[in-house]
Amino acid sequence: MSGVRWVTIARPFRRVALPLASYYAVTLALPLANGAGPSGAFMEHALVVLVVPPIAIILGCAVHTIAHALARLWSMTSCAVR
Amino acid sequence: MNRRVKTKICVMASAVLIAWGLKRHYAAAGADDLWWILSPVARLVGVMTQTRFALQLGEGYFSRDRLFLIEKSCAGINFMIAAFGMLMVALLHRVRSRFSAVRVLSVSLLASYSAAVLVNAVRIAIAMSLAAHPAAFSAISAADVHRVEGIVVYFGGLVLLYELVRRLDRGVIMAGREFSAQARRVEAAP
Repeated sequence: MSGVRWVTIARPFRRVALPLASYYAVTLALPLANGAGPSGAFMEHALVVLVVPPIAIILGCAVHTIAHALARLWSMTSCAVR
Repeated sequence: MNRRVKTKICVMASAVLIAWGLKRHYAAAGADDLWWILSPVARLVGVMTQTRFALQLGEGYFSRDRLFLIEKSCAGINFMIAAFGMLMVALLHRVRSRFSAVRVLSVSLLASYSAAVLVNAVRIAIAMSLAAHPAAFSAISAADVHRVEGIVVYFGGLVLLYELVRRLDRGVIMAGREFSAQARRVEAAP
């Protein structure tokens, strides 16, 4: 993957770092601190909690990029028509 | 250590204490004790889904026509704690005096409560809609759909709240700079 693409993905992650950290703190760190660690049900839940937000960020990033590209294409087409 | 740093440490300690108190209250409370958050959530879900929720003592808010119960675990206290902590960190740079410390604490608490009610109501309304149309996600179990929906709505709610606060905060800073620049211009004018 090129450097530009990494930046495209890394930037939204940096931007949502605080919401992501607070979400993980409440959903993972607090139950772990309260001794929820060894149970299998919690580990399964923790895995889903850990994986879903980054996927949501990447999907959101993809939708944003596509919407931007479409908007640019639309403005170029309307300029050419004029 | 200067006074401003001391104030910030005191504010963060107070925030941790408030979050801990909320968590303790949530752990010990029954559904009836959580009326302060369950009642507005149930009312908002009722408006969103055109459903009537009635209070069931000791259980929560129940909709007879949808057979849906908003119980203690639907209260969204964990979301409120996450939002409160996030807002405290995001707005900590605004703490300069005791008065501003109290203002940041109250704004964060009020904003996290409002966000918790709104985001939780959206989550429950979507869950009710998904429960009414189970065939759409037949490949995944209903419990997994509910879990993923909860994660996406709560995390999305946190991101939206953070963006909103960042924009408002930046707007206030810009307005403040504009005001002081204007004041300087007025002072410099002959």
